[in-house]
Amino acid sequence: MTARPPLWRDLRVIRAAAQVAALVAVGLLLYVLWFNLTNNLRRLGITTGFDFLDLPSGVNVADNPISPGAPLRRTLLVGIKNTFALVVVGIPLLTVIGVLVGVARLSTNWLVAKAAAIYVETLRNIPPLLVIFFVFFAVILQLPPPRTPLVFGGLVVSNLRITVPWVETGPGADLYGWALVGGLLVAGGVAWWRTRVYERTGRPHHRVLWAISILGVVAVAGWFLLDGPIRPSLPVVDGQRVSGGFSGLGAYYAMLSALVLYTASHVAEIVRGSILAVPKGQTEAALALALSPFQRLRHVILPQAMRIAIPPIISQYLNYTKNTSLGIAVGYAEITLIVFQAIGNGRPAPQSILLLMGAYLVFSLTISALVNYLNRRLRYVTN
Amino acid sequence: MRRLTLSISVLALVVAACTQAADQTTTTAAGGQPSGQGLLATVQDRGTLLCGVNDAVPGFGFRNPDGTFSGFDIDYCKAVAAAVLGDADAVEYVPLTAQQRFTALQSGEIDVLIRNTTWTASRDGGEGATFLHTTFYDGQGMMVRADSGITTIEELEGSAICVLSGTTTELNLATRMAGIDYTPLTFEDNETLQSAFVAGQCEGWTSDKSQLAGVRSNFPEAEGGPESLVILEETFSKEPLGPVVRDGDSQWAQVVDWVVLATIQAEEFGITSQNIDTFADTDDNAIRRFLGLEITDDEGNTTVFDPGLGLPTDFASRVIRAVGNYAEIYDRNVGPNTPLGLERGLNALWTDGGLLYAPPYR
Repeated sequence: MTARPPLWRDLRVIRAAAQVAALVAVGLLLYVLWFNLTNNLRRLGITTGFDFLDLPSGVNVADNPISPGAPLRRTLLVGIKNTFALVVVGIPLLTVIGVLVGVARLSTNWLVAKAAAIYVETLRNIPPLLVIFFVFFAVILQLPPPRTPLVFGGLVVSNLRITVPWVETGPGADLYGWALVGGLLVAGGVAWWRTRVYERTGRPHHRVLWAISILGVVAVAGWFLLDGPIRPSLPVVDGQRVSGGFSGLGAYYAMLSALVLYTASHVAEIVRGSILAVPKGQTEAALALALSPFQRLRHVILPQAMRIAIPPIISQYLNYTKNTSLGIAVGYAEITLIVFQAIGNGRPAPQSILLLMGAYLVFSLTISALVNYLNRRLRYVTN
Repeated sequence: MRRLTLSISVLALVVAACTQAADQTTTTAAGGQPSGQGLLATVQDRGTLLCGVNDAVPGFGFRNPDGTFSGFDIDYCKAVAAAVLGDADAVEYVPLTAQQRFTALQSGEIDVLIRNTTWTASRDGGEGATFLHTTFYDGQGMMVRADSGITTIEELEGSAICVLSGTTTELNLATRMAGIDYTPLTFEDNETLQSAFVAGQCEGWTSDKSQLAGVRSNFPEAEGGPESLVILEETFSKEPLGPVVRDGDSQWAQVVDWVVLATIQAEEFGITSQNIDTFADTDDNAIRRFLGLEITDDEGNTTVFDPGLGLPTDFASRVIRAVGNYAEIYDRNVGPNTPLGLERGLNALWTDGGLLYAPPYR
């Protein structure tokens, strides 16, 4: 039997003790900070709880029916919704633009490659706030004022808001929605069945064609049976107001386009790097199989490159999400603006900022969880 | 492993959060009352006054192209510095946005906030702030372009209105516009707001009328100049503006309060920065007390009146020599002969039908 070293020289004991010590130190630090914070707040007579969330916010929010009498937490939700509106539209857009530009930078066409390079190098090297200011002051504010909006082809454009044709729902819209969902499920099932048939027999599957036809039949038949449950809605100018269509504030479009263009330049670089990281032999093998340039990209290069690209792209998604907080600079009522507004109107700053940080944390963790899930699904299966 | 990484990052974040919050409060302890010393003594030791101001409202608090500050509120910073430090220029101006101002005050970043700040009950109660004597009685108004033909607030239905974020103005607007459909565009600073207004994004610009007058007077000629803008008749709120200090230091609050009152009292006595020397041998003991001049009693003893405010006995004469009395401050910055052209109105002495009234100095 080997003799155990004395306690103070036992590596396992030392490690455990070090961890306990670190934990205690962190705990103490937190306690001191918390004590200091609450003590100072109490001394200044500032509330330390979160009851203020139930008091009325007292403010209106642009393009939202929420009343000034609604409790602050509901106004905060409106802010989260506005942040969300930037995120859900922006992330797919910036991904598409980023991939296109990244591929374009590697194009053998001199003009395409140089144009992409100029785009990337310009936007990547400017702080996002400046991009936002540029778009807001030099593009959005230069549009005609809402008194004399620009109207063309169903589009109503002013620097206050941009309205595009949209759809309006009539009676039966809910039913129609469910019919579409049902059609989608059937189409998916048929596609799956066609794939099985193809795998068993080798006959062409035509699964996309099948699925689209089924969905198309459901959509058209349903629309006629329910007597037009959704119809196009064209914007109509009425004084300074615009009714119908889908409206977005100028500040929203400024934020969206500036941040999408900015973040896409980073994504483009990631995509370019990832494509270059795919071994050259893969391209040569694809050439040997006589694949067309598009097929080469679609079936050989991009599937491998995107696997490399996903982790760094996630962090760009997170950057994008956090940068939406710059909306405060151009008056877009996202969550940061709403929180700062509340602080300005007398709500306690420490708690409000804590809530704000919590909101961004939830946003970021959700996005990275979703994309990490995707990443795991897309990993090479080796068995 | 993944879970561990996650919990560590959450922990790190909380630490960061608390450090930030604690940072603010430790500064409070440092800048506020270190070891029981009052702010008055701290300011005198430091030799400069940290004054939280506006830098974008002409006439009240404005940063000139050469980097100096000027305006009505700025003159009150100078007055406090003159009274406390004997030097009207010993002021460090801290430009603050509407949203930053109370946090800056709470955290001890500034000694006094003189930044067209409206006195309200919830600010007095909830911001750890003490509001002092009002220097300017204001009210909220609405400014529109002259060519829009709008004459009442109701006519703004359906259009957008620009307003500064985190202000009482914003709350009053929401109250005033109850039942009227409008789009509030909230901006953090006056420059962006002005650009949006110039571009026609918003039809109306609401703020305190004095601020609107300031902006109007400074409206670029390229955009039509002051004549292209109209401030609507209606006043839809009470906005008493004055200095604000932190709760918990009544001596400092008294000091700032009496500096303001001294400017008002000086106007009542008719003492100006020009004629103050002629009062050196006045027989009026009330004026002698006020200016810190020697008073001889019936038995021939001479005393100098010291009310015990913690200020030098001649603080009022220092203030008057530095910035003048209330009327001089008003006329220099916002009065009828300035681009703002504001009449005294509510801001006249009580003897002239206004609201300015200083308690007796004795």
